Amino acid sequence: MHYIWKEWKENIRGKGLWLSLSIIGLISVSILFRSTALSFDKGFYILLINLFDAIIYFIPILCLFIGAFSIFQEKEQKTLIMLLTKKDSFASFLLRKSLALYAVVLVPLLVWFFIYLLLLKFQFQLDLKSYVIFLLSIMSMALVFMQMGTAIGSFSRSRMQIIGSAIFVWFYFFFLHDFILLSFLPKVSYESVKLFSICYFLNPLAAVRMFLETGIGVYSFGHMSRLLQAFMWTKPVFFLLGNLVVWLAASIGIAIAFNRKEGVE
Amino acid sequence: MKKISLLLVVFSLLFLIKPEKNMAAENLQAKIDSMKAGAVLKLENKTYQGNIVINKPLTLVGQKHTVIKGDSTGNVISVKAPQVTLSHFTVEGSSMNRNSAEEYAAVKVYTNHNVIEHIRVRDSFHGIYLSKAFHNTVRYCNIKGLGKGEIAAQGNGLHIWYAEDNLLSHNTIEGTRDGMFFDYANHNQSYDNHISNTRYGLHYMYSDGNMFKGNTFTMNEGGAAVMNSNHLTLKDNQFIINYGNQSFGLLLLQANDNRIEDNTFYMNQRGLYIDQATRNFFKNNRIVQNQIGIELWASSNDEIFTLNRISENTIPAVTIGGKGERNVWSKKGFGNDWGRSFPLTDLNQDGIGDFPITYYSSLHQLMEDQELTTLFLKSPAIKIYEKINATLNENEVMFRDSHPLVSKNNSHHVVVWIVIGLAAAVLIFIKGRRKYALHLEGMEGKHKG
Repeated sequence: MHYIWKEWKENIRGKGLWLSLSIIGLISVSILFRSTALSFDKGFYILLINLFDAIIYFIPILCLFIGAFSIFQEKEQKTLIMLLTKKDSFASFLLRKSLALYAVVLVPLLVWFFIYLLLLKFQFQLDLKSYVIFLLSIMSMALVFMQMGTAIGSFSRSRMQIIGSAIFVWFYFFFLHDFILLSFLPKVSYESVKLFSICYFLNPLAAVRMFLETGIGVYSFGHMSRLLQAFMWTKPVFFLLGNLVVWLAASIGIAIAFNRKEGVE
Repeated sequence: MKKISLLLVVFSLLFLIKPEKNMAAENLQAKIDSMKAGAVLKLENKTYQGNIVINKPLTLVGQKHTVIKGDSTGNVISVKAPQVTLSHFTVEGSSMNRNSAEEYAAVKVYTNHNVIEHIRVRDSFHGIYLSKAFHNTVRYCNIKGLGKGEIAAQGNGLHIWYAEDNLLSHNTIEGTRDGMFFDYANHNQSYDNHISNTRYGLHYMYSDGNMFKGNTFTMNEGGAAVMNSNHLTLKDNQFIINYGNQSFGLLLLQANDNRIEDNTFYMNQRGLYIDQATRNFFKNNRIVQNQIGIELWASSNDEIFTLNRISENTIPAVTIGGKGERNVWSKKGFGNDWGRSFPLTDLNQDGIGDFPITYYSSLHQLMEDQELTTLFLKSPAIKIYEKINATLNENEVMFRDSHPLVSKNNSHHVVVWIVIGLAAAVLIFIKGRRKYALHLEGMEGKHKG
């Protein structure tokens, strides 16, 4: 609780969280205005997909920065050393700090999307189950990238390092990962498609998108070929859960293994 | 005493038989049979047991809670006389048997000049079935199937078989196998129907000369599949968010001489999917924000695309399996509006670009060879893939529009805003944190002091 309170105070004094939230707010409102011409009954789904397609550009990078700078600030202000001398290990510090970050970032996001739902009510026929799936998708994405951010903040020694690493991670998941898979695509056969599927869904953006689009019922896998059936060897929700487990564990592991207690300016 | 007990037992057995079921069925059937031709039967707000057969021209009018419930063994209502009107009630409980000689429906019409309106259909194999029936009207009906998970176990919303000159309008169909299925059915007209969550919203087989106007297809496996059907007109329809892996807005398969005009194809996996089709004419359509705007297979020839707006698609148009013959992207000096993906100059301000545009892509081969390619269409990596292949000269011409239209759409360029937003975010973020850190250091200094 102490960590959450500390994180909250730090964030409301800084501009990062407010800026992130205002960007997401601005995008969601602008998409709502652009969607006013959509039909009452199905427009809701189109809006969710369009909104997701727009904020998928922002949430990963913003969460990477929020996570990374939050840890780095502890180094910069020497509070990390102070906290660690109080019989607290880095692992326990990291876990508490991560939980505090989740609370401070995800709760305002949830509050905003609750307010947004009220705005949507005037425009569309709501489907609450789909909206919950949309929120889960956004939260999962924020969670993964925030945790990756904490890993970046842990091993980085300067702000430039943080910026470089965060942009690389963002670029990797946005472009490079799929680009590598695209180059292997012609060689994918029925025998190797399961491995390919694992690699494909290792990208949090792909796993989250599939979970969202199938969850709200717009993307269907009806009349699948044998190859596609082998590709979708489990439900999208399990791909997402697997992805969360892998990246959260990897990020925490990297943060603990490669952490540097001192930051330099 | 014994006699009384025996009497009670016999009476209770009579209760167990539940005779009211057959009685109600006989009642409605008997009522119908006893009516004179042309009479009007007003049904009460209650559930009547089917199945019923109508053998004379008459009108059946229900109320809000009137239900005719079938016994799940056949058609609930069979219309075997002409000039029958059915309106304002619910029909449910046809046979779902797929192994029978006949395919059953909630309402099966075998005759001509009937009107079926404001009928709700539930729990039935087919919804309304026109079998060799002519000049009928089906309007304002609401048909709900079992949903997407049960596509194969059920029939179609409206099934039109060897039936001609019928009018189908303002119907709402959801969750059936195909929304409207036309088989050997010519010269029918369909207006303002709403079809969603089906396999194919519209499915034409061997049906010519039909008119299809103002209909909406959303969230189907495929919006409309036109197969082996010629001389159709599709106008002012909306094909929206047909989004699955194999989905399309409109499929033309072995369909010739069709006119596709003023339709909207928005957020589909493929806007138009054209295979083995010839001489189709596409004019004034809005093909926007699909993964693939137009997928044109090599076996399709003599297609004409003019005055369409084909913009904001991941891939505007792709030709697969080689080049089709004589497909043209402009007619009488008017091409298509390709949006901001193809910047144009228009020095003489005539609305036509000053130079032709040619679209190159390398994805056609990958799409042809590997069906999983569609999974990457939403990925920004596709653009890099295309650019790299362009530098390696592995691209091929997908289309060439000699008279492209200058884009009229002045909507803001999202990517520019995204980049500006991100840059601002990073800058303010760093500055904010730094300022706060300095402020804290200052405080620390003061305390030390």
